[in-house]
Amino acid sequence: MAETKVAPKTIRVEVKRQATPETAAFVEKFEFPYRSGMNITSLLGEIAMAPVTTEGKQTTAVTYDSNCLEEICGSCAMLITGKARMACSALVDKLMAETKDGVISLAPLTKFPVVRDLAVDRSVLFENLKKVQAWVPIDGSYDLGPGPRQFPQIQEERYPLSNCISCTICMEVCPQFNEATGFVGAATIAQAKLFNMDPAGAVLKEERLRALAGDGGIQECGFAQNCVQACPKQLPLTEAISDMGRDVFVQQVKDFFAR
Amino acid sequence: MASVAAPAPPSNQHPIKGVQPLRAGEGNSFVLRRLHSLTGIVPIGAFLVEHIISNIEIVHGPLAYAQQVKFLNGLPLVRVLEWAFIFIPLAFHALYGVYIAIKGRPNVNVYPWAGNWMYLSQRVTGILALAYIIQHLYFQRFTGVSLPEHPGLAYWKVQYELSNPLMVAVYVIGMVVTCWHFAYGVWLFAAKWGITPGDRARKKFGWVCGVFGTVLCAAGLWSIIAIVNAPAVPFEDVMPAQQPGVMAPTVPVQNESQQQPPLTQQQ
Repeated sequence: MAETKVAPKTIRVEVKRQATPETAAFVEKFEFPYRSGMNITSLLGEIAMAPVTTEGKQTTAVTYDSNCLEEICGSCAMLITGKARMACSALVDKLMAETKDGVISLAPLTKFPVVRDLAVDRSVLFENLKKVQAWVPIDGSYDLGPGPRQFPQIQEERYPLSNCISCTICMEVCPQFNEATGFVGAATIAQAKLFNMDPAGAVLKEERLRALAGDGGIQECGFAQNCVQACPKQLPLTEAISDMGRDVFVQQVKDFFAR
Repeated sequence: MASVAAPAPPSNQHPIKGVQPLRAGEGNSFVLRRLHSLTGIVPIGAFLVEHIISNIEIVHGPLAYAQQVKFLNGLPLVRVLEWAFIFIPLAFHALYGVYIAIKGRPNVNVYPWAGNWMYLSQRVTGILALAYIIQHLYFQRFTGVSLPEHPGLAYWKVQYELSNPLMVAVYVIGMVVTCWHFAYGVWLFAAKWGITPGDRARKKFGWVCGVFGTVLCAAGLWSIIAIVNAPAVPFEDVMPAQQPGVMAPTVPVQNESQQQPPLTQQQ
C-alpha cells in the first residue's frame, strides 16, 4: 500500500473521447512511465507523442483547446478527475494523491457542446459578452483624444475583474447555468461590472444593466457560490453579482417609473 | 443612391447548441424572481415571525392562546388581510419556488462546498415546508373546528392534533425546515439585492441570520413542547361566543371569594 504512494511506477489516465459532435463518446485508457512535476498539458503531450492505449491499440492524439499553457488564455478548461479546472495548472502529482486509485480521468466540460474529444464550443460566453457590450466604446471616425482619468481606487477594484480569462469554469460549476434557465453566468456579470466601472465604459452602463435584466439574466443566480470557489483566477465573482444585482434593480425601478 | 437603407444582411452566425445566450431586455423573469425574493421576506417571513410569537401564548394556557387567536381574528378586514398578505403571496412564492427548484441542476456530489450545500438545502427545505404548510392549512385552517368562529377551542384543536406522535414529528420537522428556509432566505435576499456585496459583510450577516433562525426555531419548538407536555384539555370552548354587539370581558369573572371588583366597561 505504502510503496504505490511513495513511488508510483506509472501514470494512468482515462480520457473521455468523441470523434465528432454527433458520434457517441467512449473512454480510452493510457499508461505512461511516471515522471515527477507533470501537468495535464504535458500528460496530453505524452499521449500525442505515442497515442497507444493500455490495450495496445493505436489511436489518435487527444484534441483539446490550448494556447498559452500558463493559465492566462483560458482555453484548456476541462473536467479533470471529475472537476472543472485548467489542464495547464492541474498538477499530476497532486491529482494522483487526490484520487483513490491514482487514475486521472479527463473529460470535456459538460455544459457546452463537444466539438471533438476535450474541445468544446464555448461561444455562448462570447455571445453573452456581446449582449452586455463588455467593451469601452471608443471606435469612431475621428480622434476622441485621451481617455478620462481613472483613480487608483477604481483601478484597484477593477483590476481583479480584468483578470478573467473566459475559461467558463464559473459557468460549468454553476447549478443554475443550464439549458432550462439559460443563465448568463458569473463571468459575463463580472465583465459588465468591470466596464461599468470604467470612466469611459460607463457610458453604456444603463444598457448593460437593462441587458442583464432579460430572461437568463442576473436574477437566475442562486448564490451557490461555486463560481467564486472554482475560478482559477480568484475573481470576486459573488461580489460582482451582488453589486450588479443592486444596480440592475435600481435601473429597473428607474425605467419602470420613467416609462 | 437608394433612399432607403438596405436591410441588414442575414446573420452569418451559426445557431448555438446547448445553453442559450442571454435574452437581453426580453421577458419578465427579473420582476418575478425579485418578487419571489421579496414576498419571502414581506409578507410571508413577517407572518412566520408573527405566527411563532403568537404560538408562545400556548405556554400561558388555553385561555391566553384563545385570546391571541381572537385578537388576530378581530383585526379589521381580517379575511382580506389573510388572503392579500398570506395566502396569495404564499401561493405565488411556493409555486414560483417549485418552478425555480425544478430548473436548477444541483451538483453537490461533484462540488461539495458549503454554499453549494446551502443552495440545495434552500430548495429541499422549501419543498418540505410547502408540503408541511399544505397539510397544516388543510387540517388546522380549512377543516375541523373553525377557529375564527370558536377561538376558545384553538388550544384543544392543536393539542388534539399533536396527540399523535407522528404529527409531532411532522410539526418539529416543519418548524425546523421553515425557519431554516426563512433564515437563509434573508441571507440570500441581502446577497442578491446587493445589501451585503462584500465577502466579509456576507460572512457577518450569515452569523446574524444563523442566530436569528435558531432563536426563531427554538421559540417555535418551545410552544410545540409546551402543548404536547401540558395536561390534555377537554373539548370545551374556553371562550364561548358572546352575544353580538356586546363588549363582553374576555377574562372570565373571578371567584366571588377573591373579592375582586366586577369587570365593567373601561373608562
